[in-house]
This record gives sequence, C-alpha cells and structure tokens, in this order.
Amino acid sequence: MAETLEVDVLIVGGGPAGLSAALRLAQLQKASGGEPLSIAVLEKARDAGAHSLSGAVLDPSALRELIPDCEAKGVPFAVPVHRDHVYFLSQQSKFPFPIIPPPLQNHGHFIVSLNELVKWMAAQVEKEGIDLFTGFSGRDVLFDGSRVIGVRTGDRGVAKDGSKKSGFEPGVEILAKVTIFCDGVRGNLTKELVPRLDLAKNREPEQYAVGLKELWEVPEGRIEPGTVMHTLGYPLLQDQFGGGFIYAMPHRRVALGFVIGLDYHDPLFDPHMAFNRFKQHPFITSLLKDGSLIRYGAKALPEGGWNTIPQTYMDGGLIAGDAGGFLNSMRLKGIHLAMRTGMLAADAAFESIREGDTSAASLKRYQDKIDAGPVRAELYPVRNVHQAFGYGLLAGLMFSGLTLAMRGRWFENLHGKPGHKRMKMLAWYYGLDVPASRTSNATTIDRKLTFDKVTNVHYSGTSHVEDQPSHLLVQTEVCSSICGPEYGHPCVRFCPANVYEIIREAGHPPRLQINASNCVHCKTCDIMDPYQVITWVPPEGGDGPQYNGM
Amino acid sequence: MILVVAEQRDGKLNRATLETVAAAQALAGGDPIKAVVLGQSAGAVAQELADTVSEVLLVEHATLAVYTPDAFASAVQQVVASAKPTYVLFPHTYQTRDFAPVAALRMGGALITDATGINGTGAGATFSRPMFQGKLSAEVRHQGDGPRCVTIQIGAFRADAVKRASAGPVTPVAVDIDASAIRQAPEAPFKEAKQAVDLGQAERIVAIGRGIKSQENIAIAERLAKVMGAEIAASRPICDSGWLPMDRQIGSSGQTVAPKLYVALGISGAIQHLVGMKGARTIVAINKDADAPIFEVADYGIVGDLFEVVPALVTELEKS
Amino acid sequence: MAMKIAVCIKQVPTREWQPRLNDAKTWIREQDASYELNEPDAYALEEALRLREKHNGEVVVCAAGPTRVQQVIREALARGADRAIHVEDESLASADAAITSAALAAAMADERFDLVLTGLQSDDQGHAQVGVMLAERLQMPHSTIIMEVQIESNRLRVKRELEGGWFQWIAIPLPALLTIQSGINQLRYATLKGIMAAKKKEIKKVALAGGLAPAQQIVALALPTRSKQTHMIAGSAPEAARELVKRLREEARAL
Repeated sequence: MAETLEVDVLIVGGGPAGLSAALRLAQLQKASGGEPLSIAVLEKARDAGAHSLSGAVLDPSALRELIPDCEAKGVPFAVPVHRDHVYFLSQQSKFPFPIIPPPLQNHGHFIVSLNELVKWMAAQVEKEGIDLFTGFSGRDVLFDGSRVIGVRTGDRGVAKDGSKKSGFEPGVEILAKVTIFCDGVRGNLTKELVPRLDLAKNREPEQYAVGLKELWEVPEGRIEPGTVMHTLGYPLLQDQFGGGFIYAMPHRRVALGFVIGLDYHDPLFDPHMAFNRFKQHPFITSLLKDGSLIRYGAKALPEGGWNTIPQTYMDGGLIAGDAGGFLNSMRLKGIHLAMRTGMLAADAAFESIREGDTSAASLKRYQDKIDAGPVRAELYPVRNVHQAFGYGLLAGLMFSGLTLAMRGRWFENLHGKPGHKRMKMLAWYYGLDVPASRTSNATTIDRKLTFDKVTNVHYSGTSHVEDQPSHLLVQTEVCSSICGPEYGHPCVRFCPANVYEIIREAGHPPRLQINASNCVHCKTCDIMDPYQVITWVPPEGGDGPQYNGM
Repeated sequence: MILVVAEQRDGKLNRATLETVAAAQALAGGDPIKAVVLGQSAGAVAQELADTVSEVLLVEHATLAVYTPDAFASAVQQVVASAKPTYVLFPHTYQTRDFAPVAALRMGGALITDATGINGTGAGATFSRPMFQGKLSAEVRHQGDGPRCVTIQIGAFRADAVKRASAGPVTPVAVDIDASAIRQAPEAPFKEAKQAVDLGQAERIVAIGRGIKSQENIAIAERLAKVMGAEIAASRPICDSGWLPMDRQIGSSGQTVAPKLYVALGISGAIQHLVGMKGARTIVAINKDADAPIFEVADYGIVGDLFEVVPALVTELEKS
Repeated sequence: MAMKIAVCIKQVPTREWQPRLNDAKTWIREQDASYELNEPDAYALEEALRLREKHNGEVVVCAAGPTRVQQVIREALARGADRAIHVEDESLASADAAITSAALAAAMADERFDLVLTGLQSDDQGHAQVGVMLAERLQMPHSTIIMEVQIESNRLRVKRELEGGWFQWIAIPLPALLTIQSGINQLRYATLKGIMAAKKKEIKKVALAGGLAPAQQIVALALPTRSKQTHMIAGSAPEAARELVKRLREEARAL
C-alpha cells in the first residue's frame, strides 16, 4: 500500500528557489497568524546541497530581502568580490578588456559555494520546522484533468531487471493544494508539465549551456581571494558560445570552470575537452601549477532568457528558479533570481490558498508579481542576448553592447533555435574530410592538470545504487542504426561523465552502453541529443553527486 | 620483554602467530621475547615455538580447551600480571578481536589494533595502521602506563622471516579461572559455503579488464588463476557486461582488497579501480597500452598482448 | 518479553570521500567530508528493529560525537528507532576507542539495556574495539562479528563468523552486547512518515564525562605512498613470463 501525504504546499527541489519559497512561506505564516500551512520540500539528493553546483558570484540582494540578518546568522559568503577581470584568450596569450562590461561588474557581490549556501539555507528551513525530505525524487506529476494535484516520488528498492527487492518501498503520493516546481534546469517534472499544459505556447524555444567546474587547492599566495575572472575566446571558435571563469576563494581554494553553449554545430566537439584545453592555456596553467584537484562537477544552465520562460502558473502549480529559466545570461547570474522567484511563488501560493482558490486564474498573480518587480526589470532588457550569440561571438558581443546602451529596446524579438537542432550532421559539417580522431577538439591528458572524464567523475563523489534500472531512458534503435553515420554518436562526447559508450563488436551493429552510475545529473544528454531520444529521469532517491564545496 | 600471545586451535598453530613473532623481533631491539600458549594439551604447539623465542609459557587449563573470551581474557591478564611484559603482541585474527580489547582494558593497558608496521624499537616505538578503509595510513603510539598491547595485521610480517635459535624452555604456568564464571557457551565450529565471494580473504587475485575482449576469453584468465591458486576478479566493465557476477568486482563500487598478489590483465587502471586494489602487496600489470595508468601502481609491468603473455605464464608456472 | 535494545552508531566520512589532512597532519579536514552512517552500524540498527518487531520493546540509538552526528541519529530515528542518547562533544570526532567506549558507557549504564548492538568496527578509525570495550564497561558478556541473532527466553544464541568460511553458534545470557557484521540483513528505507515522526522523538543530550584518558595518540596521518619502483619486464612473451615468475618467486615472494 503506497504511502500518501497531504499538504498545503509541496515544493519540489531543495535548491535556492525551493528553499527560498519554504522560508518565505514560514515568514508569511508568522506574520499573518491563522491556521498554519503544512509544507513539504522534496530534494532528490541525499543531503541538502549535494547536487548544487555553480561558479558562483552571488548578488546578495534577494537573500538579504529574504533574511535581512543573514550575515549575523552565519551565511557562508566565502569572500566579497575584490577585483573583476575580463580577458579575451588566444591560444597563448590573454588580452584584458579595457573596461569591465557593466553586467560583469561584481562590486558588492560575493563569491560563494552554492553547495555551502544551500546547506545553510536548509538549516534555516529546518529551524522553521518545515519538513525537508532529502533522498526523495519527484518522479511524476499527479494530475486531475489539467489540474496539478501533487507529485509522486520515485520507487525505492527496484532491481535492475525491474523486480522489487526485499526492501522495496513504493513511491509516495504527495497531494498538495499548490505545488511549486523548483526542479532545476531541464527539471524532469517541468519537462512533463510544459508540453502537457501547453505552457510554452508563443514562447521562444529554450536554450541551454553546460558548465563544467573544478575546485582546486593552490599554493599559498598564488591568487588573491576575491578575485573574479571571466574569459572569452580560446579554446572556443567564433561560432561557439561560452567562456571560462576563475573565482579565488579563501583557504587557497580556486573555483574554475568553463561554460559551453549547447548549440554548437560540430558533432565531434567535446565540451569536456574544451575545459581541458582551457586549463592548458598558459595563464590558467600558471594559476593551477602545483595545485591539487579537490572536486569536479557539471550542470546545465538555462540560457534562453525572458522569451523562453514558459507560462509559470497553472491550476494548482507554479514554476520557479532554473526550472523556469530565470537566469540572466548577460550577468551570468541566476541564483538571486531563483531566490526571488521562489519568494514570489510563495507569496502567490500563500495568498491563493488563503483565498481558497488555487486555479490558474488565481495563481496568475505569481506572473503579475514577476512582471511588476525586479525579475522582469532585470531579465526583459537582456531578453535577446543569448539569441544574438546565435549569430556568432562578434555579433553577440556587439549586440550585448548595443542592448545595454539601449536598455533592452529592440524592434523585434530575436528568434532562437533549440540547441540540439543546431548540431550539424557529419557530412554537412565535414564533407568528405571527417577527422580520424572522433573528437575534433581532443587534447593530450596528463592526469595532473587535465583529466579524462572517468577520473574527473571520481572527484564528483557521485554514487548510485548499482542494482537499479538505468535512469537514462534511450531509444537505442537510433544508436545502432542512423546515429553513427549521421552524427558519430555525439552522446559519447557531450556527456561530461562518460555515461555513454559505444561498444563495437565484430559482426554486430554499434551498441550503446549506459554507465548510469557515473551520471552527475547535469541534464546535458536530455538537452543536446540531436534526435531527442534520451530522457533523464531521477534515479533512486539519494543517488548522485556529492558536491561539497562546489 | 615482549610477550607474544599465540593462537592455536585443536593443537594446530595458527601461522599468524609466527608473523607476530617476526613483528616482535622487529620491535624488540635487544629485549627478550616470550610466547604464551593457551589451551589444554597444547604442549606440541608450545614446542613448535620454542626455537623462535627465549621462553614459551604454556598455560593449560580445562577452561582453555575451547576458546571463550572470558577464559582467554582472564588467562592473558594473569600471565601478564606475573610476566610483566612491556608489550603484548597478538595476531589480528577474529579470535583476537573478540577478547584482546577486554584483556587490555582489564590490565589497564592500551591496545593498538591492525598494525602493519613498526617504527623504532623498544619503548619509543610507534605503529603504522590503516585508517579510513586504507585511504590513509596512521602512525600511532600508546598512551598511559600499562602494558602496551598491539594486534598485528595478517600478512604484514613474514612468518618465514622469523629468526630461529636453539630451542628455549617451555615453562608451564598455572592460572586460576572459575569455570562457572564463564558466560559464553560455544558450540562446535562448522563450515558453510558462503553465498557471496569474499575477495577480501583471497591471498592472490587475478583480475580482468576490458582487454579480455570477450566473455569466452575469460577462460584464459581462469587458467592462470587456477595454476596460481588465485581468485578471479574483475574491473567494473566486465561485471557491467554481465561476464562475471557483481561480487567479483574490485573498485569504488565493488570490493576493496589488499592481497599478497594482484595480477591485472587488460585493466587500464581507472582511478575507480585503483582505489579498490592499490593496497595489494605486489601488483603485476599486463596491458597493451604503455600509457595505461595501471603501470603507475604496478610493481611489475609487462607491455604486451595478454593473449600471448598469459598462456606463457601458465606454461612457466606449470613447469614447477 | 519486551526488550530494551541499544544500538551504538557512528557517523563516518562517505565511501566516496577523498582524504584531505589538516595542517598538523594529525587528523582529516572535516569541512571537505560528506558523512554517513557507518555501514556495519546500519546493519546493527536493522537487526535491532527486526528484533523489536519480533519481541516487542524499545530501540534506543546511542552515539558519541560532535553536533553533526545529529544527521545519523535522525536517520536512525526515521528508520524506526524510538529515541536517542547523544554524548555531544566536538573532541569526540577524533577520539579513540577507549574514550568513545567510556563516554558511551557513562551515558548508557543507568538505562540497563537488555541487549546492546554495535557494528563490528567503524569505517573511519577501524579499531574494532569500542563494542568489546563497551561490553566490559557495562559488565555484559559479548560476542563479535555476529551473523544471526536468536533470542530464547533469557538468553541469546548467536552465530559468529570465523575465518575461512567457518561459523560457530554461541549461547550467552542476557543482558549482552553483540558486534554485528555487515550484510546480514536488508536495510530498510526511512519513509516520509518515519522522517516526520523522527522530529518528535527524544534525543537526550549528555555531556562528555570528564577525566577520560586516551589509550593511543595519532602521531601523523599520511596518504599511503608506494615506495617501490615499477619494474617493466621486456622481451618476448615466454621470456617475459619466465622473468616475471622468477621475480615473483624470489624477489616479491608472492608465489
């Protein structure tokens, strides 16, 4: 007999959006008194923050609004930003930008570990007595017609062959008056909601990037804590979107990473290799020399901006945070927007429940709050930026400059194409000259500065129950037939964790092998596969990376 | 003086006792070493040890015929009280784990378990032991004034390294143990086929990786394992493909082992595998790829085709 | 016959944790570690819960450790333990078995447990002593590395694991202490209801008893280094095989 639970508000996702929503609800309750709301937060990671990864340079405005005395409560701001640098990298050199473009000016901001920040926020949520259920994944949305009535969590204790192990626990049906979906970039539940309720009508297609990040420990005095660097150029080509970041933290820690738009043309391109090449740039190498790798991770980012955000309200439901695409791709910031939208979703849910009406019409007030306040004010002017980069680096930069100057006024909305559709077929991209090496941007790995994916994954702390069905659902007929000749099996390259391998045995068609337990839950495969035959679903609750310090 | 507590069952000396004597000899510097044998009708065992130590104390009592923690802890406590050793060494066996902590506590002594090495000699010595499942090695020292107890990890010292001299005396020692005060009533031990393979107990392991290419080829590795008296194990991809059961997997998602000999065939040495086996005493790697990371942890490496090298090894081993 | 069962649990770094040392190299850098319930203790807890289901009674988890140990105490309560005793002190994070067992004994003595279960050893320091020392301090008979527990009126019959595939049944009177081997049962998941109920369960905080002396001291911790060089053996397959066997026999003495 499956467990059921009934709450007033169910928040799916214990990241900055979900935890802000929970804290805001607690505040609203205290302020208004009356019948207390029952609230539950679901988080698939074993511990709060374990799956949270970001650069990150935090704009603290939203957090200070939510918790004015956060600093007194020990919020883990690692270090204030002391100095900003932006460089254009060529293969051997770096050219500083003469001025720091205003969106990349970080005065007043803090370098943080998102993992640490989420852990701290979770502690605040616990202090409020709100149930934060870690180790529980949101598997399916529960509907009553077109009304969202809750979420069903994943089964636990299912064997690889689908049979029930002796400790089997069926998923729990959690019914709620309002469900706030904060399931992150390419969230599996939001992915279900959008087409089913036609929430993306008249919106631009979503666009994404993937961020690969490492945490290093470097010798004393190598780089001053509080230094923020962003790079453009090498190793990316003109038609590839992305760039690098280096953030210096206290205790000799350096967070560095590389973001690559998931809309590149070259099917033989490997984002992880690009990260390795980035580290091989003399400047980056000099920063990391004699250091040691502490942690590795990867995660997709929603880059499409304002015009790609779906309708965020529905009967019984709201979408906040990265799941809705609330990220400012020009400022490279989304955490404060996740918090803000989480808070606004809490406001809307609270008001609607108190009024006894949680229909879409009533919950629309969430969108109104977004439109009326700092969220739209920030995202609307930069709504076309990522789409402009679709025309190349130069165009993107020029457009960014223009749009800043014109405060976002533009005579039409630029259109984007879903990233996976921009990947060209081998024959188209290479003609007859397909490179012998199956990776176009390969470089030599030394396992001291640069690493192969398998070694890197080891440092993500990711672990999964071995005996469970694969959580990557793939229509493998494609892998054995057309994918090889058409795209050369790009999943092998775009996955930063070596989940996908193609096994070639004499006399057999190519076979896809899925190393599901390497998965770091970045969602790149779900996004980037050109045939869209990969669906990421949550593995057993508690599984996945351990992003300590990330 | 260092006292070695011997282990025997039914008149058969546990080889680990000799390893413990070897450890005592490394620790002693110039100090005398004695052994104590506990049992009933254990004279022959005591005699076996006579040429390894300066004196063997033979403690025979009806309550010591069959092992119980109550009787053994009491016996050791009494022997130590009269012999007053500086150190008391035990082999780190399941039996020792069952009673040594009690004996140490009653004697007011400190116990360091699972020692793999000894640094220095005599009273100032420190001991190496694994911590965090072998991820770290700790150097520890005793604190307090009582007898310093140490249990020695099986295989850390070599039984054949024991220095022997002319046989010393075997001295009977009386102890007073009240049979009615023994709280444990053990039944006879029995053997059971274990369901899962415990690679952790294997002395030699032959492990196969992707280089084996197909399930049929595993037979080549099995032949080598047989002639070596080794267990078969595998890296992850082999078990993922279902060619060997999951309980044969070595690595971060399988078992961690530290056998005397680990032969890695066609294993590249991904870090996930290395963490499961790099504690092995002797590592042999055979791989076609000279750059394979496995060679970084191997003691002996052969860059070659395992399909040629392994049969050659089997032939060579079968010769003797 | 209702039984009062104690389970001693420890919080240890996760299996995936990469060791990093503090500056003095006498302990690990805790900030980098993720923690989890010590695996053998999880099986001890499961065994206790099953015994309570069979015989009625109460399961009390006892832990000695810093504040962060709350994580595993809550997990144990969420899985079904009835209440908890936490000897809370930051120094217990790196304490040896002598102090840990003394701290637990002081907190547990008055409870007069019928049965105490511990894991056979911890995955961090791995002394394999706390359980046995605790039995002595609580003046209980004990047995170690237990695979199966049977309770018959006022005594236990337990199956003990010996080396090499051998086993042994032993009878001991209650009250008693057992150290439990990993893998003897199937661990249950904490349910949502269990997690919610855990919040209301009692966690009695106890201060660390004073004047406890350690029995050992960690002088230094280090990553194990390989002092040996790799000998690459060249030649044809038969030549290399011959050379390897010779070296394994004579040099390494591994055959």
